[in-house]
Amino acid sequence: MEKVSIAPTDRSPLVEFDFSKGCFRLEGESYPEDSASFFAPLLKDMRTFLESDDARPVSFNLAMTYFNSSSAKALMNMFQMLEDAAGLGRAVVVNWHYHPDDDTMEEFGEDFGLDFENAEFRMCPTVDA
Amino acid sequence: MTTWAETYNDYRRWLNGQGIIFSFTGYLSEDMLTTLGSALKKRMALSETDANVAKRVFSVFVEQVQNIIRYSADRLASAEPPVELSGGMVTVGFDGHRFFVVCGNVVDAARAEPLRERLIHLASLDKEQLKAYYREKLREPAEADSQGASIGLIEIARRSSEPIEYDIVWLGTARNRAFFCIKAFI
Repeated sequence: MEKVSIAPTDRSPLVEFDFSKGCFRLEGESYPEDSASFFAPLLKDMRTFLESDDARPVSFNLAMTYFNSSSAKALMNMFQMLEDAAGLGRAVVVNWHYHPDDDTMEEFGEDFGLDFENAEFRMCPTVDA
Repeated sequence: MTTWAETYNDYRRWLNGQGIIFSFTGYLSEDMLTTLGSALKKRMALSETDANVAKRVFSVFVEQVQNIIRYSADRLASAEPPVELSGGMVTVGFDGHRFFVVCGNVVDAARAEPLRERLIHLASLDKEQLKAYYREKLREPAEADSQGASIGLIEIARRSSEPIEYDIVWLGTARNRAFFCIKAFI
C-alpha cells in the first residue's frame, strides 16, 4: 500500500502511515473544519491494511497536543480497529506520547488506554531536552 | 447629545469593564474560528496564562464556536461560490478569577428543549461521571442529525470549572424560535 504523508496545518495533525513498516504516526493539533472528511480516508486505509493478509506488527505513535471532540471520535474509531485486529492475533502497540505537564492529554491517554485488552497501550511521557 | 462615537466608546468601555478579551457578533465560519482561535491563544500566552488553563479555554472556545457553525438556525448560504455562514455571537473574557466563554445563537423551538435537557443532565454529573459519559458517547455511533453535538457539550462540561450556565430568550409572538445562550467558566 502507498505510504500516506500529510503535513501538519494549524488545524490538522501530521499524518504518516507507512504500511510497509507497519508504522503509523499522528502528531500535533486536530480540529479540522470537517473532521469526518479528514479522517475517513485514513480510517479506510487503515482498515484495508489491517484486513489484508499482511500480518506484520503494528506500531502506532500518537503525540497529540490538542484535539476536538469530533477528532476524538475518529481516534476512538482507529483504536477500536486496532484493538479488533489485535484480538485476531495481530501484534499491535499503541504509544501515547504526551508532555508530563499536559493534564488533558495525560487524562485522554488514560481514558483511551482502558479500551485496549489485546493491543498493548503505553503511556509515554516525553522528556524535555 | 451623545455622538455616535461616544455610543461606541460606551460600548467598548462596557466590554472592557466586563473583562472581555474579544466579542464577535455576526456570521461565523470555520476560517473565522481559525483566526479567532489563534488570536485567543496568542493573547493567553502573552498574559502568561497557565498552559493547562489556556488549553481548556481554547477547547471550550472551539466546541462552542463549532456548535454555532453547525446548529445556528440563522444561516446564509450560497452554492457557487460555496459559502456557508452561521449567525451567532461568541465572547471570551476573564473576570479576574476565571475565564468565561459565552456563546449564543438562534435555534428552532424544537431544538431548544432537548438542548436544555442535555445541559441539565450534564450539570448533574461530577467530573468522573462526565468522563465516563464522554467515553460512552465516543463509543456510540453518531446520533442522527446531531453531528456529534452531545460529545461537544460533554467536552465543554469536562473542561469547565463550574456547571455550564444557560438561558433562553423566546423570539417572536409565535415563540417558534429562541436565542439560546450558554456560558462556561474555566
